[in-house]
Amino acid sequence: MPGRQRADVVVDRNLCRRCQVNEPTITVRTEPLCAACFGKYVSTKIVKRMESFRVRHAGAGNERLLLLPLSLGPCSMTLLHVLSQHLTVQAEKSGRTGYRLHVLHVDDREREDATALMESVKQRYPEHVYSTRLLSDALQLEGINELLDADTDNSDALSTILGRLNSATSRDDMLQILLRKLVVDVAKQQSREAIIWGDSTTRLAERTLAETAKGRGFTLPSVMSDGASPHGVPFYYPMRDLLSKEIVAFASQLDPSLDAMIRVDKAKPAVSTKNTTIDDLMRQYFESVEREYPSIVANVVRTTSKLQAVLLEEVERQCELCDAPLQGHSPERSRLCYGCIRILPHAIE
Amino acid sequence: MAPHICQLCNTSRAQILRPKNHARICAPCFIDIFEREIAETITSTNLFQPGERIAIGASGGKDSTVLASVLKTLNDRHAWGLDLVLLSIDEGITGYRDHSLDAVKRNSVEYDLPLKIVSYEELYGWSMDQVVAQIGKKGNCTYCGVFRRQALDRGAAMLGVGHVVTGHNADDVAETVLMNLLRGDLPRLGRATSILTSTPSATMSRKETEADGGEVTITNVKRSKPLMYAYEKEIVMYAHYKKLDYFSTECIYSPEAFRGSARTLIKNLERIRPESILDVVRSGIDMAKLVPNAEGHPKGAAEAVIRNEVEDEAEGGCGGSNAKEVVSEMAQMEQKLRQDEQAEEAGTETEIKLPSKVLDGQRHDRDLKPDLPPEAALTTYVQGQNHDRHSQTDGQQLPSDIRTVPIRTKQEKKSSRKATRDAPVPKQRLGQCERCGYLSSQAVCKACMLLEGLNKARPRTGIEVG
Repeated sequence: MPGRQRADVVVDRNLCRRCQVNEPTITVRTEPLCAACFGKYVSTKIVKRMESFRVRHAGAGNERLLLLPLSLGPCSMTLLHVLSQHLTVQAEKSGRTGYRLHVLHVDDREREDATALMESVKQRYPEHVYSTRLLSDALQLEGINELLDADTDNSDALSTILGRLNSATSRDDMLQILLRKLVVDVAKQQSREAIIWGDSTTRLAERTLAETAKGRGFTLPSVMSDGASPHGVPFYYPMRDLLSKEIVAFASQLDPSLDAMIRVDKAKPAVSTKNTTIDDLMRQYFESVEREYPSIVANVVRTTSKLQAVLLEEVERQCELCDAPLQGHSPERSRLCYGCIRILPHAIE
Repeated sequence: MAPHICQLCNTSRAQILRPKNHARICAPCFIDIFEREIAETITSTNLFQPGERIAIGASGGKDSTVLASVLKTLNDRHAWGLDLVLLSIDEGITGYRDHSLDAVKRNSVEYDLPLKIVSYEELYGWSMDQVVAQIGKKGNCTYCGVFRRQALDRGAAMLGVGHVVTGHNADDVAETVLMNLLRGDLPRLGRATSILTSTPSATMSRKETEADGGEVTITNVKRSKPLMYAYEKEIVMYAHYKKLDYFSTECIYSPEAFRGSARTLIKNLERIRPESILDVVRSGIDMAKLVPNAEGHPKGAAEAVIRNEVEDEAEGGCGGSNAKEVVSEMAQMEQKLRQDEQAEEAGTETEIKLPSKVLDGQRHDRDLKPDLPPEAALTTYVQGQNHDRHSQTDGQQLPSDIRTVPIRTKQEKKSSRKATRDAPVPKQRLGQCERCGYLSSQAVCKACMLLEGLNKARPRTGIEVG
């Protein structure tokens, strides 16, 4: 039986593909869209992923608190904006919301304007719970302290530890791991139901290849899927269907634009230098792929999610640093997974 | 500044900075540890049986030359009793393969190993020169690729050898892992990272093979890659320090193709962190275990991964350069993915074409795998011309698999079906070619089909070429 044929609709290519009313302002994948339709496209993709937190699943006054780590980059800012809107709509429609947001900013002391930026965020979205922690707080977490031999009295402990690592990649990796551990700790301490991350398709694709290159390929299905994670708190990635460039465009076109609140990272050199990290390499790579072949980026993420994660019930031991399930993925009697051994070769002695 | 002392023997001056881990060692220690690591790979995976007959796929390039040299050395040193033979494929392209074949001949003399050169003419009745004379320069790459795929297996069977080894190194495997991640090709991920691959009959019907008098047919040839954990740079270094004789052929990759991309990434990764090549391989091996099989269960560690002829694409190059005619692989994939996305959103069925003939030299064989969701199916194009290890010894890019499937003699009818995005990684129906018995998911394998076309058009009087 031949498939249903789509009725041939006459499409005016000079108008927005969806509403056929306004002029297009941006081309998404192959469709030219006007600002309004593009805005809807972005919001819908995110909200769709929040299905499990719909109003009817929550009792009034009993809303679940979800932790939203805010890096002040375009993706997490956009996530905050769209979810704020979503909550407003939920409240309008039914008088209550399905969840509430706890926005957490982790300060790595790299930027002085972080505090000021956070203030403007709080002003624009006052309805949420806010808190800020220092990245160096991660050194006081159980297990980390001892593993890294951190001198917690020293305010520069973090730099000292990073200084001991053997490469820029290792430092970058360590920072990412510490950040994640801290966020998870906050979520656990305050009984947050889940952590809502702002990673885009592009970012997830970068991480797929980067973690593969670091020897942690086996962790990918567990750490990048929505739902239960080996860290003990469920992770969600509602931005997983949007490309970074789409998110950046969305943030810019908002009125008032989010650009003022988004921190701009220092530009990294385009050519591979001694200090280029594996993550930088993948970021550069996918930046170029995203331009011409966005569907390929999405395909990478989709493929990885097809891999079957280790069943969490069957995990016996986990890497002390990154929480990855250890069985078979580390040398005998090692406390760390292969990926983390690269960063801390001396820790296994 | 005082010169460094070798970290292994603590005696000689260290002349070498080892690519794998930046250890500083002297040349003799390097040769020693290189050989020892390969020996370790072989023994820890039980790659060979004592007394086994092994055909070394020899292209004359650095990988197969080093492979031959190391295997010979280890075989003698550890008395494995292996019966080694060099196997070389001659496509019959005048002026092209000659130099590398000469190198292989010299290797044969040097290592005192018998050499068998198998030509396309011998295997199929047609040399590439003859094919081109018949069909012209367009589409000839397809023939070469298809023929090459089977050539090693057929050649081995002719020699009565059931195990072929190829010179695939860590860089190759790492590239393939990244490439398959980029392409979203999970089944191939499994095959690429297995050190030993097999055909279903080899694993399943040992009893039958014995009953037949243990005859080797082209359907039960094992394939392995002992150099899988050896860095390409170290292979070059080994060849240099042992003064091995090889013919270095260029690899041309079309710039936007997946393999070219993956190769660049690997090279950059190596610069950032040399261990990352093996880390990619390790990740690939681990991820392959997580690939769900048809029932949706993870495969788990399989001992011998099963190859599928149809999966092996014409990644090897051929003599003629059609780089400009080849549409960028990535652009093709992008287009297909988009169409599928749009179709899915519109709720229409995704199009599945029936098998078509080779039209413009390009395979439209997406549907050799009808069960594959469109994103995963790959149209394969002759991608770059790969003259070195990917062409001669292993036109089969890394054999394939997913799971044990009973061999069928009849081909199932393909039905067009709506492939959903969340379809589990699909089954592949393995069967045998009616004519030659080679593995195929068609009733007649690709090579036989092409040959049929060629033979029909062959004039009755012989054509002299050249």
